[in-house]
Amino acid sequence: MSSIEIDAPGESVLLMGNEAIARGALEGGIGFAASYPGTPASEIMDSLAPIAKKIGIYAEWSVNEMVALEAAAGASMGGIRAIASMKQDGVNVVADFLSNIAQIGIGRGGLVLVTGDDPGALSSGREKDMRTIAKWYDIPMLEPANIQEAKDMTKYLFELSEELGLLCMLRGVTRICHGRGNVKLGELPKMERKAYFDDAHDTRDPKPTRYVPFPPALRYAELEKKFKKARELVESSPFNWYEGPDRADLVIITSGGGYLYAKEAVKVLKMEDRVGILKVGTVWPIPEKLVEKHLNKAQKVLAIEEVSPFLEERAMELAGNLPPTAPHPIFYGRRSGHINTWGELNPDAAIQALSRIMGLTYQPRDIEYDKKVEASKSYVPKRPVTLCPGCPHRASLWAMKKALKLDGRNGFVTGDIGCYFTGFNASGFFQIRTGHCMGGGIGVANGLGKLGQFGFNQPVLAACGDSTFFHAAIPGLINGAWNQSNFVFVVLDNSATAMTGFQPHPGSGMNAMGEPTKVVSMEALCRSLGLRVKICDPFDLENATATLLKMINDKDGGVRVVIMRRECELIRARREKPPYKVYIDPDKCIGEACGCNRFCNMAFNCQALTWDKKADRAKIDDVICAGCGLCANICPQGAIIREAA
Amino acid sequence: MTVKKSMKDPLNVIIAGVGGQGNIVISSLIGAALVKKGYFVVVGETYGASQRGGAVVSHVRISKETQYGPLIPDGCADIILGMEPAETLRALGQFGNPNVLTIVNPRPIYPLSVLSGEGEYPDISNLVETIKELSDKTWVINATEEAQKLGNPMFANVLLIGALIALGMLPLDKKSLEPVLEERFPKAFEANMGAFKRGAELAGQIR
Amino acid sequence: MNTKVKASNKELFDEVINAGLCTLCGACSGGCPYLVPYKGRIVLLDNCILPEGQCYQYCPRTYTDMDAISRQVFGLPYSGHELGITRGVLMARSTDARVKERAQYGGTVTTLLSLALAEGLIDSAILSRMSDNKTPEAYQARNTEEVLQCAGSNYMACPVLKVLNYIPKHSEDRLAIVTTPCQGLALAKMKNNPPQNRVDMSNVKLVIGLFCTWALSPDEFREFLKENLDLPQVIKFDIPPPPANRFDAYTRSGEVLFPLDQIREFIMPACSHCLDMTSEFSDISVGSVEGLEGWNTVIVRTKVGAELMEIAKAKEKLETDTLLPQNLAHLKEAALLKKKRALGQIIERSGDKRNLLYLGLSESIVNKLLG
Repeated sequence: MSSIEIDAPGESVLLMGNEAIARGALEGGIGFAASYPGTPASEIMDSLAPIAKKIGIYAEWSVNEMVALEAAAGASMGGIRAIASMKQDGVNVVADFLSNIAQIGIGRGGLVLVTGDDPGALSSGREKDMRTIAKWYDIPMLEPANIQEAKDMTKYLFELSEELGLLCMLRGVTRICHGRGNVKLGELPKMERKAYFDDAHDTRDPKPTRYVPFPPALRYAELEKKFKKARELVESSPFNWYEGPDRADLVIITSGGGYLYAKEAVKVLKMEDRVGILKVGTVWPIPEKLVEKHLNKAQKVLAIEEVSPFLEERAMELAGNLPPTAPHPIFYGRRSGHINTWGELNPDAAIQALSRIMGLTYQPRDIEYDKKVEASKSYVPKRPVTLCPGCPHRASLWAMKKALKLDGRNGFVTGDIGCYFTGFNASGFFQIRTGHCMGGGIGVANGLGKLGQFGFNQPVLAACGDSTFFHAAIPGLINGAWNQSNFVFVVLDNSATAMTGFQPHPGSGMNAMGEPTKVVSMEALCRSLGLRVKICDPFDLENATATLLKMINDKDGGVRVVIMRRECELIRARREKPPYKVYIDPDKCIGEACGCNRFCNMAFNCQALTWDKKADRAKIDDVICAGCGLCANICPQGAIIREAA
Repeated sequence: MTVKKSMKDPLNVIIAGVGGQGNIVISSLIGAALVKKGYFVVVGETYGASQRGGAVVSHVRISKETQYGPLIPDGCADIILGMEPAETLRALGQFGNPNVLTIVNPRPIYPLSVLSGEGEYPDISNLVETIKELSDKTWVINATEEAQKLGNPMFANVLLIGALIALGMLPLDKKSLEPVLEERFPKAFEANMGAFKRGAELAGQIR
Repeated sequence: MNTKVKASNKELFDEVINAGLCTLCGACSGGCPYLVPYKGRIVLLDNCILPEGQCYQYCPRTYTDMDAISRQVFGLPYSGHELGITRGVLMARSTDARVKERAQYGGTVTTLLSLALAEGLIDSAILSRMSDNKTPEAYQARNTEEVLQCAGSNYMACPVLKVLNYIPKHSEDRLAIVTTPCQGLALAKMKNNPPQNRVDMSNVKLVIGLFCTWALSPDEFREFLKENLDLPQVIKFDIPPPPANRFDAYTRSGEVLFPLDQIREFIMPACSHCLDMTSEFSDISVGSVEGLEGWNTVIVRTKVGAELMEIAKAKEKLETDTLLPQNLAHLKEAALLKKKRALGQIIERSGDKRNLLYLGLSESIVNKLLG
């Protein structure tokens, strides 16, 4: 029994933030859930999908976030409460639809969009603050400050969404989404749901139909009215509160992950009698009256919040409106340099900021210890992210590297989002030279592939994963075929959305709920565009390299497709034992001498292929080795031996 | 070592390792057991990119009074459970202090930066000595080796939990772990209990 | 003048490969995974950071102390003689009809190798072979049949030495190698400073060098052939002596003749910097006899070479005769001309008579050669 379906109101369980959001959606009576995998939000659907059938809801992995939100909106129009969840970048993907539905309004079923923001860009290319989108598109948004709130806010948002007739958002950040904490469970509603698209049309009504943006001015006027109501509601929301002395020397204004750090900072510095905390849960619209009340009384205001000075700036705007005779506080935060403008928050950021402003010194441990730590720093090597041992992308990138080097025209690879993106560093032989967003690789290649008239002759390989193929690469593929751009599209098909937890996609033959379904064939799709397609097993290095070379040098040019197909090692390992036992023959290994110079370690970069310094020989780490046997191909002396296990 | 009668509140535990070692198994098992006993628990973790061979740190914070934030402030760890020696030292550098208690599995996992010749991996005995210098007390437990003897290196996780609990570092006993292990490993419960017991044994053997 | 004896692949690329001096001899590759010959060039697949490597040491176009090499092979200093150091010069041809049928000229190389194999003097021979679609490839032949398959010139550069580099340290195989002059020089450099981690150079028992004026690019020339011929139909290529000025392709459906000037554009640029026409650092050197079909000119240089020739004659595997004086004179003239031209080319490039790029030659010899 999964923790989120336990029917035991009042019981306390340890839940991950995403699980709490999923539970909150269930307690909120959803019938429909759609998502696309993305860190840190993937586990919301990961927890709903396996139990969906059992508890009588529908849950799907959509082909991308845009369709996920649109589908959820469709459910709302059918009168069913729906949730769409995605990472921050996914919200960028849905921006077009989102901006429109925010103004048009929703169906009878409440509609909630969850964004998983990534402060510090731990699993993204850039940190983004989706509270700014909420303000920009006029969307009511709540941000939980702990795991309990993640559940409670999600549940409440369905109510709010239906009361206002608006799509509402929940903003989680990595530490909330992936953090675990105690959650007291609520009741699971037993609901009878009947779906019906109810759009009874009164021809006298100037609005022709409910779900179109016309006329825009009228729609906007409606939105303003709804927002006025929202502003009233948030003033009495239990998710906003002030804790601390009535007259504080400093008020911390905070939301989300910042709240617990702020609280700990106040405790550690023993400032409970001088510093108050204004915790904002309704981050848009903000409870203006509540904020003004505390701005009026404070000399100093410190904003502690993830990614951008959102509340900081809202508070400053409000302070600008205060009567000239009222005291105006001094503002501290990202704009003053007291909080780092980039990077994830942590309790030390809060402690440092507060102690600096209040003129205190904070020393968590004695200086002697700090000195010892300094002295030991040289003992700790850097640990870059790598491809897993046994990963087929290692083979694909190796083949791509060799093919491009043999070709000799300084060809390169444009990259996309997925595990193979690790190819920008040593683990993937520094092959991937560009990387922006889903579908960006083939998009960029389209442009480069038309520069022939300006003397461009470098071969371009556009690398893309299987899930990314369906998510975002198809328009680029069609564009390349139609506008006849010249590049080789290399699809790294490891049969999964691996980076985020092996979720299924249109090529998997299975849906989120575990039901077998139609397989969408990427090669059939490519061939239907009249493109040449070759399918290779990347572990057959010789053939993969030769195929790439052939395609690179194909005189007919245009878009050529090579699909490197082999299952992700982590998925394979769940089913089967390693195929090979790999070891080093110490008599054949020539160590660091010329003709080798530790080629296997230095060039191949697999964590399991290590070096025994004392023996001056390569060594396989048998705990980490996946037994894929790929490295046996690369040793010039034939010292890496693989035996069928 | 004697069990402290009253637990420091909050009790801050850092689990440091390399992506793929199973940090998350440890933190979620301990966390679940503690919640059942009525404690406030918060666990902070990083997934996604960092899982692929990068450094992974889990923060587990235990309190009788209230829920804390999911990250432990610098220099405030009470216990460091190190699944890999260099990562243990990295964690000590950031979160250690003169009172920290450290358990370390001394089996190295070489980062790519070392394999490609960019950096050096320090001598293991030097590394362990430095870890000892930065801790109040240190227990060196060959968890991977012992787990391999039991049939699977992944038993190292539960083995280390066994050691942690046997040393009285957490307000948990073997009994409180059993239902959690059974729920998590329904098919391999006996084997995991074996690993748990072995960890307790090993901890007991170290003076 | 570059006098570095030891350096890394970076210098190899700077001084030789990217400087248009690479002859594709193959000495730098085979044993090294970082370097691979591909389509007429040496490709660096990955970055080796060794400050000194065998690739640079054995390359015949990095600094070579010609005296030291000559002493290594012959016990004598580099003389600058047109034909190098010789014990005797003669004509020879095979007595075996089957060999003569396949041979380019007299079939001497094929005969000597078969003999060496049959006598148990060697276990295998490393040489170049033309595939069915006329790509030159390095090959290790272990019996007469296999040697016979390698007969015939393809006039394209072939990195034969890479095969040598694959041979492990402990191998007891005794080897013969058929080389072009640049490869012979590389081999001599290897013998002078043997690698400790691969082939035992004392197992190289016999070196047969080929006469060579220049070699054609295996990439571009092959493309040219492909465009102009049905390659699987080709039996043999030949460049008849002047004044013919032709490149001939003999196919099953007749001869196709190309003007030699058309072919000249495919000559490897490195060849114009080479002083050696007769493979001076071999045991036996073999070439054609101008104006006399079906015979080889043979230069015997070492004791090993002389002994093998004696056995060949005694066993009547080879028919020999004296080389006509005018042929010998003409050969010397051609060889000297190659030396002069190459020296001139080198000096024009370096701008300084004392900077001979890769050659370590005394000033007196340089002056003698320049006349």
